[in-house]
Amino acid sequence: MNAALGTAGIVLGVAASLLGIVTLAVGLRQKRPTLLETGWTYSLLALIGALIAVFAMQRALITRDFSVSFVHDNGSSRTPPLFNVATMWSALEGSILLWALILTGYTVHVARKFRRRLSDPLVGVALLVMLVVCAFFFLLMLGPANPFATVAVAPGYDGPGPNPLLQQHILMAVHPPMLYLGYVGFTVPFAFAIASLATGRMGEGWLVETRRATLLAWGFLTAGVLLGAWWSYEVLGWGGYWGWDPVENASLLPWLTGTAYLHSVMVQERRGMLRVWNLSLLCATFSLTILGTFLTRSGVLESVHAFSDSDIGGWLLTFFALTVAVTLGLIGWRGDKLRSPGRIDSPLSREGAFLANNVLFTGFAFVVLLGTVFPLIAEAINGRGVAVGPPYFNRMTVPIGIALLFMMAVAPVLPWRKASGEVLSQRLLWPAWSAAIVAVVTVALGARGLGTILTFSLGAFAGGAALRQIVLATRRQGWRGFVGRTNGGMIVHLGVVIIALAIATNGHFLHETETTLEPGQTILVGGHSITYLRTDVVEYSNRTATKVSVRVDGDRIYRPALSQYDGFGSLIGTPSVKTGLREDVYLTVTRLPEGVDGPVVLRVIIQPMAMWLWVGGGVMAFGTVLAAWPGGRRRPTDAVSAPIPVAGPEPLPDPEPAGAT
Amino acid sequence: MTAREPDEVEVDVRGGRMTLIIAGSLAVLVALLVVLLATRAPGGERSGRSPLIGRPAPAIEGATLDGDTFDMAAYRGRWVVVNFFWTQCVPCIEEHPELVAFQAEHAAVGDAALVSVLFDDTVEDATEFFDANGGGWPVVIDADGGVGVDYGVARVPESFVVTPTGIVVERLSEGVTAAQLDEIIGRYEAAAPS
Repeated sequence: MNAALGTAGIVLGVAASLLGIVTLAVGLRQKRPTLLETGWTYSLLALIGALIAVFAMQRALITRDFSVSFVHDNGSSRTPPLFNVATMWSALEGSILLWALILTGYTVHVARKFRRRLSDPLVGVALLVMLVVCAFFFLLMLGPANPFATVAVAPGYDGPGPNPLLQQHILMAVHPPMLYLGYVGFTVPFAFAIASLATGRMGEGWLVETRRATLLAWGFLTAGVLLGAWWSYEVLGWGGYWGWDPVENASLLPWLTGTAYLHSVMVQERRGMLRVWNLSLLCATFSLTILGTFLTRSGVLESVHAFSDSDIGGWLLTFFALTVAVTLGLIGWRGDKLRSPGRIDSPLSREGAFLANNVLFTGFAFVVLLGTVFPLIAEAINGRGVAVGPPYFNRMTVPIGIALLFMMAVAPVLPWRKASGEVLSQRLLWPAWSAAIVAVVTVALGARGLGTILTFSLGAFAGGAALRQIVLATRRQGWRGFVGRTNGGMIVHLGVVIIALAIATNGHFLHETETTLEPGQTILVGGHSITYLRTDVVEYSNRTATKVSVRVDGDRIYRPALSQYDGFGSLIGTPSVKTGLREDVYLTVTRLPEGVDGPVVLRVIIQPMAMWLWVGGGVMAFGTVLAAWPGGRRRPTDAVSAPIPVAGPEPLPDPEPAGAT
Repeated sequence: MTAREPDEVEVDVRGGRMTLIIAGSLAVLVALLVVLLATRAPGGERSGRSPLIGRPAPAIEGATLDGDTFDMAAYRGRWVVVNFFWTQCVPCIEEHPELVAFQAEHAAVGDAALVSVLFDDTVEDATEFFDANGGGWPVVIDADGGVGVDYGVARVPESFVVTPTGIVVERLSEGVTAAQLDEIIGRYEAAAPS
């Protein structure tokens, strides 16, 4: 029943997207607006298909319908309700289903937003591209990643439940959907980029139209990446939050190119330059989400996150290759139309700074990509794999990060076109002072090492520059000055500065120790008293947890645990963290006591400022919302140096007034 | 006036050619990357993941379910598949018929043997499981988990293929099939100088 319903949903999705593709293609070719108008119907049908399939999957999970092989392999009657819902994205087939749902959702959003302009070829091609991507993901579910395959179930069978690591923390319910909202959201600007290349309309109009979708996708991706780091910190028990694992890198890569795009697109809106570059960044971002999915889902790379192996790899790789081939082909073909109408007058200008920012971000992305696939390159050349670990990534990315902090400090105060030394020295005066003071304070507090001191002082510099912009804007316009892209962006910058400072601090001042404690014994670690009280065994529906009670600072009791999940062999540790404004006390059990009164082996990590990573993430999310807030901005289509539109023989339908959405 | 899209910009042939060159070289790079990725074996099947590959197999000595004792050393001269399993794990249950088939095929010939090692399981559960599902090969109890630790077992089922000379050649960290085991043994037999 569930399997049949789900399959029906997927078939509907495939049919709707394929028919939509054909209809739109014919409509575009024969210039028949009535056909193009149907794009809305097909998008809606595809969404309905995805909704039916998701409903069937959730129903199968909730009713524990083990005849559906996905539920058979990943569901269990012992899984608590929340994680049971999240089980859908704990394994490959279900996550592809989630992907399809979000993708069709975005497609309908685009169709709805442009409902009055569906006959416009640009919108037609964009919808066509989105439907192609939809069709690909629906076909994946008919082929190698079928969530509704059925199996014969023995009476009394109960499944193993999702991977234990995925049922440890509530964040697992939030992190994957956030990440996918980000990944998939970049399909929207990508589709419009392809559409503008295909129709030859390289104007800035489509950039503005998709601005909010791009921003929100970026915001979701940012939140998704940070929530993933938080999850790993709360669950994996090694006290860290980022290990340069291939899956982490796969989520970082599109974030880096997406961030580069958000900056360089302003140059195009304002001065009409960097067209090829922006199109390339969007296409790169989209292709990298597909490549990332390939890297993590095909099992080609070893990763702690490689939760599934399957033969989906070939499909994803082919799709990636096609995407890149099509975009590069289009860019090559339209190269003559992409010539920018102006030049950068001076490197010491806003556009010059954005260019530098872009070089840094793409360099960052290249370094990460190289490090991620290098083991495979090495294996192909000399037949032996090489491990590329955190040392490579840290050595390569820390200088780039510091340079980016510097750019963050300087760029916001630079005027467009050309800056005079006088203007600069006046605008940078107090940010520079704050940088100097912070540098002195950090050294006085005991920080050593050029990297750390530079991060602190440049962080203060960048924070000062962002604050200055915010203060000026709110002073000028009151609370209205607070919303809008510029200020939202500055608040995002503040969030980044907070995160950069937190990373620098907890990399530098981290304190870690492993110790054996008898019951009742107390030790001091980094100024915190740690008392081991007792050990309890707690039975849950899905696991047996051995919890170790530890009193921290004579105050609250924390209970790190080792759990044995039913259906899985190994013991899974659950850290317990005392979160504080200044530092976290992070406790993990490394060896359980033998008997009730035996000694326990505890690992204690003092993580300074860990909480500020998540606070910084919150500030970034808040800034993104402000930046995407509909407001009475100057219409960026009235670009300063873009050519004035000339009425052609086929006038375009009137664009929607700014802020109408 | 020529018909022109409203937002079309000035044509510059030199810029176009430059774009073409860059797009072309990027295409070549990406094509290389795709070829590289497409030709790599999945990480799960790649050897080298276990430090044991190419090394002598750790000894397995201990009591078995049917009350005998098992000693790996007595199996020199035969291929040995060491299988770690747990009666509650679904992939283990799924692969069991394949192991039965493998055993049936080789027990008479005597060229390959199978030994299972309990992973964190009770003797009662395991006895019941083998009674219900068939077996007939030695099942080592490994009460203290020492064998599992020696082989570095992370998550069952896991199987190790050991040559007649006692060297580990493959670690299979997913459920296995009889055909897959035969293929591995056949591959190494063909490669070995006879």
